[in-house]
Amino acid sequence: MKFFGFVVVCLVGGLLLYGTADFPDWGDPDSPASTHLSDIYIEHAFEQTQVPNIVTAILADYRGFDTMFETAVIFCAGLACFLLLRDFKERKERFYRHVPTGVILHVKNSKKALRVGRDFEHIDKDWIPSDLIIKTVCRILIPFIQIYALYVVAHGDFSPGGGFQGGVIFGSSLILLAISYDLKILVRRIKEKVLGICAAAGVLVYVGIAAICMPMGKSFLDYSALEMFVFDPHHVRALGMLGVEIGVGIAVAAVMAIIYINIVSEGRHDEGL
Amino acid sequence: MDIFVICLLTIGLFFFFGGAVGIIRMPGFYTRLHPAGILDTMGILVMVVALAIYNLHQLTFESVLLTIKILLIVFFVFLSSPTATHSIVDAGMRAGLRYWTKKKEKE
Repeated sequence: MKFFGFVVVCLVGGLLLYGTADFPDWGDPDSPASTHLSDIYIEHAFEQTQVPNIVTAILADYRGFDTMFETAVIFCAGLACFLLLRDFKERKERFYRHVPTGVILHVKNSKKALRVGRDFEHIDKDWIPSDLIIKTVCRILIPFIQIYALYVVAHGDFSPGGGFQGGVIFGSSLILLAISYDLKILVRRIKEKVLGICAAAGVLVYVGIAAICMPMGKSFLDYSALEMFVFDPHHVRALGMLGVEIGVGIAVAAVMAIIYINIVSEGRHDEGL
Repeated sequence: MDIFVICLLTIGLFFFFGGAVGIIRMPGFYTRLHPAGILDTMGILVMVVALAIYNLHQLTFESVLLTIKILLIVFFVFLSSPTATHSIVDAGMRAGLRYWTKKKEKE
């Protein structure tokens, strides 16, 4: 089976490499992209889409399909991580730490988690609580990181940024929470189910905005069909892109958290790094 | 004012240079983190403050706003960089890495 997989990888890789031989040279001024496409983007992007940031205009409007399936690919990555790694088996060994003294109780063979008072905390075998300095600083920084992530998503039309970047920053703030405290706090705050729903909902927002255009009489992903939903018909394309970027941001943030949680705890969702 | 800015930039450059030399020349893991943590933080602090002051040449509302933003960067770097160094050292201690001594080198 392994050998078969190796052959398939070699075959596909070889075909792809063979395909790249037909590409124009790197930075070739006579290539089709440089002679026709770039000029049109640079000259007409603003008047056609009303978005000052050409990169966003190209990614979310001219190449909307590409970005839509990129989002789907990221969703699939999260799904693959979940399906391959998630381990639902409950472990019987449990450890409780008495906070004031630091004594650790080891409970063998308990089906359910014991109900413990405030003085005890449920810990894992290899896990030591993080330092107070790290906890405090991360607690101060995380809200700022999250606000910055929302800014990057919302401001993607005007400055570098957009859904992917903002989503990654938001996801990294969740990961920082898991690193500085422990994984259980993150999982308790944001349930696994919520993360999964968010990842799917983000893709759905993108596809939904694209699909609404069709009953309005325009083609798939043609944001100008959304005129009746927005207050400012002049900027309808920019607002359509903003909606799409928000969907991308939600999906990427949720998938980042899913991938981190599943990899770091080997799918058990209990052990802090 | 320009002279002041140049002085600050030079001091920052000196800090960065010291940090780079320290990372290369210091023996052992923890001693290397020491210049990397302290001098980089100080260098970036001084240099960015110099830029903030340089930005105040025209005293308009926008330039003051930009200066405040630059000072925010200083604040966050000042907060996060020592914490990152601290967490690396903490991780090293927990993983059981011993600190460097002269005796150890001779062995």
